[in-house]
Amino acid sequence: MITSLTRHTPVLVQGITGRMGRAHTRNMRTFGTNIVAGTAARSDISDVDGIPVFITCAEAVAATGAIASIAMVPPADVLRAVQEAVAAGIRLVVTIAEGVPVHDALHAGRIARDAGAIWVGASTPGLAVPGEMKLGFLPNVSLHPGPLALMSKSGTLSYEVGYRLAREGIGQSYWVGVGGDAVKGVRFADLLTPLLENERTKGIVLVGEVGGDEEEEFADALAIATIRKPVYAIVAGKEAKEGVSMGHAGALTYGETGTLVSKHTRLRAAGAGVFASIEDLVTACVHELGSSR
Amino acid sequence: MLLIEADGKKLFAQYGIPIPAGQVISAGDAPAAPPGAGPWMVKAQVPVGGRGKAGGIRRCNTVGEIATAAAAMLGTRLKGHGVDAVLVEQAATGRECYLALMLDPASYGVRVLYSASGGVEVEQNAAIRSRLCPPDFPAIAAVVDEVVADEPEPVRTALADTGRKLAAMLIERELMLAEINPLFVSASGIVAGDAKVVIDLNAIDRQPDIAKLVASRPGIYADACRKIEEGFDYVELDPEGEIGLVTTGAGLSMMLIDEMTARGGRPLNFCDIRTGQFRGSPVRLMRVLSWIAGRPSVKVILVNIFAGITDLGEFAELLADAIEQSPGLKVPIVARLVGNGAAAAKTILAERMPGMAVEEDLDAALVHVALITGRSGR
Repeated sequence: MITSLTRHTPVLVQGITGRMGRAHTRNMRTFGTNIVAGTAARSDISDVDGIPVFITCAEAVAATGAIASIAMVPPADVLRAVQEAVAAGIRLVVTIAEGVPVHDALHAGRIARDAGAIWVGASTPGLAVPGEMKLGFLPNVSLHPGPLALMSKSGTLSYEVGYRLAREGIGQSYWVGVGGDAVKGVRFADLLTPLLENERTKGIVLVGEVGGDEEEEFADALAIATIRKPVYAIVAGKEAKEGVSMGHAGALTYGETGTLVSKHTRLRAAGAGVFASIEDLVTACVHELGSSR
Repeated sequence: MLLIEADGKKLFAQYGIPIPAGQVISAGDAPAAPPGAGPWMVKAQVPVGGRGKAGGIRRCNTVGEIATAAAAMLGTRLKGHGVDAVLVEQAATGRECYLALMLDPASYGVRVLYSASGGVEVEQNAAIRSRLCPPDFPAIAAVVDEVVADEPEPVRTALADTGRKLAAMLIERELMLAEINPLFVSASGIVAGDAKVVIDLNAIDRQPDIAKLVASRPGIYADACRKIEEGFDYVELDPEGEIGLVTTGAGLSMMLIDEMTARGGRPLNFCDIRTGQFRGSPVRLMRVLSWIAGRPSVKVILVNIFAGITDLGEFAELLADAIEQSPGLKVPIVARLVGNGAAAAKTILAERMPGMAVEEDLDAALVHVALITGRSGR
């Protein structure tokens, strides 16, 4: 689904009339996203910049044929937003709120999975197909069309990596922020097969963090993949304090769980390049994929 | 966030899971009679695993030994955490089992783990039984019954009952992990020897009991208390650190710390200040600057903002305001600002903060920092 997104994909913005909703809708449209509808829990606004506003996702989908949505709602409303979007027939829903309760995420994940829909969240800066569209607020300064698919738990670290690669002339085919939550929708491993099968993607950059076992799960999938593409990985949190969530609820290590060593070892064993610094990763990408400059 | 053992056990007790008689002793507390008869365990109350191997757990046979063990632990640091309190409790006896419930992110369910022999090496234990189920009470209860099925009565019923109590706790308190290792099993019943409970800080607004528990220990849960009170993340990593960080974004802040440490630098703190929530006020910046200025070992402050949406011009004005209103701040500041409005920010800071090094390139900023701390840049 993510690799089939284009500038023509009809998109719904849930919570379009709020401060965030309005600002990001404009920003996404300027980037190329085809926003066809919005929803709001109030009936006194009929449109935002000419985009029709509906009360429910079901009405919006029926009237416009939207198949993807981005929910600009507070953390406590994310579960409801995912539930409503999926029930209305939305195939891909992105949520951006920071601080979504983990048990809510667990239920949202089940709802999306059971419906065969894709949920990107709980808390993510979104996803982008540079040159085509974006869902969320990934910064334009880092987004450039190119051969690398970038997947990341962290917003800012991925901005930094993407920015430095773009400065060297290497852009992205797809960019997916999976978020730093302990429980989330799309996980690193879910993205591997579609990206390996995708012709525009020549390599994958994985920006991970300590905590959880997503990097290990991705490594297991990579180890048995029949299509080979280079994978460049960086994992933040070597110096993270054990037992304390480092900003992201998912970035929590206790005992042997979720440590950097475990992630590095498994990724390396699966054939990924693992780098200790952003500069080292960028240098390797430039060396292997070449620079347009 | 991982609770200290004493607080995990408080939750256990609320749900009717038996725990040993015990008391928490903090630094400076007058010596009190230990609970019941010996022997006793003295355990450092820090939210980390592997306390025993790190010297944070001692068995004591006399009151004198308790005092010695407590004195040896209090005020020290264990795996990055200051030991502000110890738990003194009666040593439990019996066969050591292991029982745990944890959220399973990949299946959107709950993992139930049980082993008839627990102990410190349980992760390597081949006899561990592990089952996945949906995150609801009946499903968890059914799976608990399954994993303890080989135990003889009355142990089986006691374990099944404990598993149900853990399940209720996990669901009602919105926990991420509830683990008992060791869980002592004997003819006189079962007792939780340890408690490893991971709470969800994102759910704290609707979990008043957990919120109260965290708020009651502002020293031990300093980072969480700060997050709840201030609405952003600041974690002190090294109280003797030389580089104070004013940064946004969890991942980039962590990576910056990793890279600086690898080059011999000593960062004081992790910080995700969330510029998007400033709403035109320098107050949050002033708070962070005051915490950093409160550590005399700090030699330099690095401000690193990658602005996706934030207007750096506006941020630069707020940064200058915050510095002007922080008279206690004596150390130099290096700012690395990149993204939306970086050029305007540079102009503003050149005018208002003429001595400040302002860079767009991160490595260039790190060179400034290294020059000030006197440690090599690479």
